[in-house]
Amino acid sequence: MGMIDYIQFVLAPQVINGLALGTAVVLVALGLTIIFGLLDVINMSHGEFYAVGAFAALSLGVAGVNFWVLIALVPILMIPLGILVERLLIQRVFDGKDRHVSTLLLTLGLSLIIEDLLKAVFGPNTHSIQAPVTGALELFGVIVPNYRLLLIVIGAAIVCMIAFVIYRTRLGAVVRAAAFDRNMTASLGVPVAWVYAGTFALGVSLAGVAGVLLAPLYSVFPTMGRDFILLAFSVVIVGGMGSIWGAVIAGIFLTQVQALASLVISPVWTDPIVFGTMVAFLMFRPQGLFGRLGHA
Amino acid sequence: MRNIRHGIAQVLFLGALASTQSFAQESIKIGVVTPLSGTYAGVGQPVRWGLELAAQEINDAGGIGKRKVVLIFEDEEANPSVAVQKAERLFQVEKVDFLTGMVNSGSTLAVGQLGERNNKLVSTTVSFADSITGDKCSPNVFRVNARAEQQSNALTYWIGKERPGSRVFAIGPDYEMGRSSVAAFKAGAAKNKVETVGEVFVPLDSKDYSQFFGQVRASRPDTIYTSVAGNDTVRLLGQLNEFGILRGVQIVGSSGTITSQNIAAVGKASEGYVTGSGYSPKIDSPENKKFVAAFRAMFKTDPDLFAADSYGLLYAYKAAVEKAGSVETDKVREALRGLSWQTPQGQKTIRAGDHQASQSMYIVKIKEGQFDVVGQVPADDAIGPDVCARF
Amino acid sequence: MHDRQSRVMRTNHVLMMLFVGGALVSSALGIASGDTFYLRLGTEALIFGGLALSVDLLLGYTGVLSLGQALYFGVGAYASALVLLHVPSFSLAMIAAGVASLVSSILGGLIANRVRGVYFTLITMGLAQVVAKIVYNSRELGASDGIIGIPIIKIGLGAASVSTADPAGFFLVVLGIIVALYVFLAYLLETPFGRVLIALKANEKRVPFLGYSVWRARMVAYVLAGVIAGLSGALYPMLRGFVSPELMFFMTSGNGVISTLLGGTGTLVGALYGSVLLVVIKSAVGSWTEHHLVVIGLLFMCSVLFLPRGLLGIVHPWLQQALSRKPPPEDVRRHVPISDARS
Repeated sequence: MGMIDYIQFVLAPQVINGLALGTAVVLVALGLTIIFGLLDVINMSHGEFYAVGAFAALSLGVAGVNFWVLIALVPILMIPLGILVERLLIQRVFDGKDRHVSTLLLTLGLSLIIEDLLKAVFGPNTHSIQAPVTGALELFGVIVPNYRLLLIVIGAAIVCMIAFVIYRTRLGAVVRAAAFDRNMTASLGVPVAWVYAGTFALGVSLAGVAGVLLAPLYSVFPTMGRDFILLAFSVVIVGGMGSIWGAVIAGIFLTQVQALASLVISPVWTDPIVFGTMVAFLMFRPQGLFGRLGHA
Repeated sequence: MRNIRHGIAQVLFLGALASTQSFAQESIKIGVVTPLSGTYAGVGQPVRWGLELAAQEINDAGGIGKRKVVLIFEDEEANPSVAVQKAERLFQVEKVDFLTGMVNSGSTLAVGQLGERNNKLVSTTVSFADSITGDKCSPNVFRVNARAEQQSNALTYWIGKERPGSRVFAIGPDYEMGRSSVAAFKAGAAKNKVETVGEVFVPLDSKDYSQFFGQVRASRPDTIYTSVAGNDTVRLLGQLNEFGILRGVQIVGSSGTITSQNIAAVGKASEGYVTGSGYSPKIDSPENKKFVAAFRAMFKTDPDLFAADSYGLLYAYKAAVEKAGSVETDKVREALRGLSWQTPQGQKTIRAGDHQASQSMYIVKIKEGQFDVVGQVPADDAIGPDVCARF
Repeated sequence: MHDRQSRVMRTNHVLMMLFVGGALVSSALGIASGDTFYLRLGTEALIFGGLALSVDLLLGYTGVLSLGQALYFGVGAYASALVLLHVPSFSLAMIAAGVASLVSSILGGLIANRVRGVYFTLITMGLAQVVAKIVYNSRELGASDGIIGIPIIKIGLGAASVSTADPAGFFLVVLGIIVALYVFLAYLLETPFGRVLIALKANEKRVPFLGYSVWRARMVAYVLAGVIAGLSGALYPMLRGFVSPELMFFMTSGNGVISTLLGGTGTLVGALYGSVLLVVIKSAVGSWTEHHLVVIGLLFMCSVLFLPRGLLGIVHPWLQQALSRKPPPEDVRRHVPISDARS
């Protein structure tokens, strides 16, 4: 294959597709990093909330709701779910010494339940959702489906919105303060318990919106939560727990590594490479690229 | 604690009672270890349905040698460790006479070995790994469904005849089964003078296949072969379609790639898909029409490959037991060897040398979500040589 | 040493003796009724109990959660299987499994022990997943089908020999091995090294000030846990005649953690009770519904929320009280039992 051919058929598409996949991973990891960074809670059931978002889109879509509406509706519907989980379950183990371990185990149990419930309600088979836009654009001989471009745009918009809210609004300041020093913030009159619940709900609804956006690409089935979980955790760790920009950069970086590595070596080795990158960071720069949200 | 499946056995029993048949002696128990939960639950369900329909029909007609058939189900979760545990329970505690239902090849092999150790016979109706009746064959394991080699031979025969000179690009899942199915396809294709211009192996459960499309496009194929399955199929075909690669390209693949479990999700991208399969609900024969009608009446949906093969198994067992005059393992084994019987797919014969059923294979093409039959390949052309050396 | 910990261990020994007693009684019943299935099911529960034991060593005593012990269990199982395919020798298989798991847990430990807490957990989970995938794709190891055809062997015990196909006999052999592992661990925990591990769980930051190397202690504990998991895994192909990559999957590690938590973290014997309990629950619930994961998930969550010391935690305190020779010291400072998994 000639050089031009290579770039046109292989390299460029790889990079662009890696970008679309990267946006997907960033959205999932974003919720996780917020929950971990702000609440210091390990949410092993994050993947299942991603699945819940996709299934919600599936059922509402079948009921006739327009896809564009779903992008906003599903995360809103997931907020009460997140608040419920946080108040009823996470709060109880939050104050123990082994918060990380207990939240990890608790959410692990939760993930088993959610996955099985999804299977019970929707059956084990796969479902698909039609993308709202079809067709593909041809840029310099590289084919890029329109929906993926849209995904990159919407994903970027969501990330910017979240970053704006967290770093530039008063609400965001309150949330960061509560993460940094809970007692001090409480003494300033902030209802910290609700802030925590709300933050968890935010993280969970981000997973949900990722589920909606990705459903037309990756289809909907009960075990879909497991697809992303290790990659999402890797992104969170490499990017730095709680760092939004870290999640973005790490997400794009790791997916590019994965996409480009599969060009040179057998794809089955890309997982170990991603994992190896995570391990390397943990060993040599454990705070990741950008450290914690509360301690920016 | 009566479970739902025992409930079904109860219903069968009551149904049999109601049809004023008097059953002499105790019933014949058939254990079914099949995935009822987990990723393969969608396959376990048609297996169960096919067996239940056959059992009901057999019991309504007097049972096997005047003994009623009772099915006992256990969930194997598609995990060989669980399958073996449940199978052992069925052999030792429920004392079943015969066992079937296994779906993935790991489970079939492990349960087959257990059957040997318990001196009981087992059969699979779904697993299509060639090794099960090939190099890992067992004197206690039978297979009534077509194996990968038969599917592949049927398909390459059709491609050679209908589309000579095609340029095929193969996309296989990166694990043992995937690699061997692609290798078998390439060999068969070469024999039929069809060129394979490229191949790529994708990790199982890949979300995004777009990273491989560059290679596909660069080879400029007119046919794409794939042996992915389940969710992977939905994603692969959906994404191929999304990128416009399917335009003007013929998609072919293994029969497990698009099944009744995922065809709805694959949607329009499945249009025109061709495969070599052991069954299609549209087979135009009186046995099949009767089977499809009965299946629809009982389960409100069309039968598929797994249901048909499972249904056929029970009749094979019936024929063998009646021929042997007993359920004793050695006698039934002898009776099964070389047995020919009628199934919705036509006549099947179990080859004595490796316990593999031989049948005519159908070329199935998907049109508007239906599995149309566009060709047929005779049994002997489809089945390969007997490579079983253990007995 | 006579401290709170030894009092706790004494309680564990009593519970262990109860467990063994129960096992012996059940096996007698099994032999008498000519049962095979339940004895072998029990043997399987004991084998996975060994895996749970390795989880407890790390979680209950060293204070680190490993979600990847199934990796070493699988390594042991595959090593044992490969040996048995060629040489039907029990001791060789066990030695091979021990060596293989020793080497792999040293490698794994070098990677995982650089970090602590949840990062450690994530690395162990990732390691298991990555290796399991490699095994799943290796034709030499049977790929996704695993390896079948592991023969039935005879285990020589002095004059007599027990066949692995003998349900009661093999059950007793496995019971013996698990008891031996327990005794070894119990002895270990009584030594100064054992106390260092417990100190690690109680307050890792202080340990270096006492002159001990945290890293060294954790490595030893991790490797020990890996070997225990590997030796238990080695028994699996002897029982079932095959091995498959599912033995290394996350669900296997998860089951080990669930067993430990249900039984009671930090008691060693809790892991064994938990494993038996899990097998019973799965069997019972599995017969009435396909959705047994919901039940197990709920039980697990309730255990984390309400029974942090597991089911044994219900009887532990009063048993401890009953066994101690003097009443617990009344102290100004709030005394909390070291084996408390959560405080």
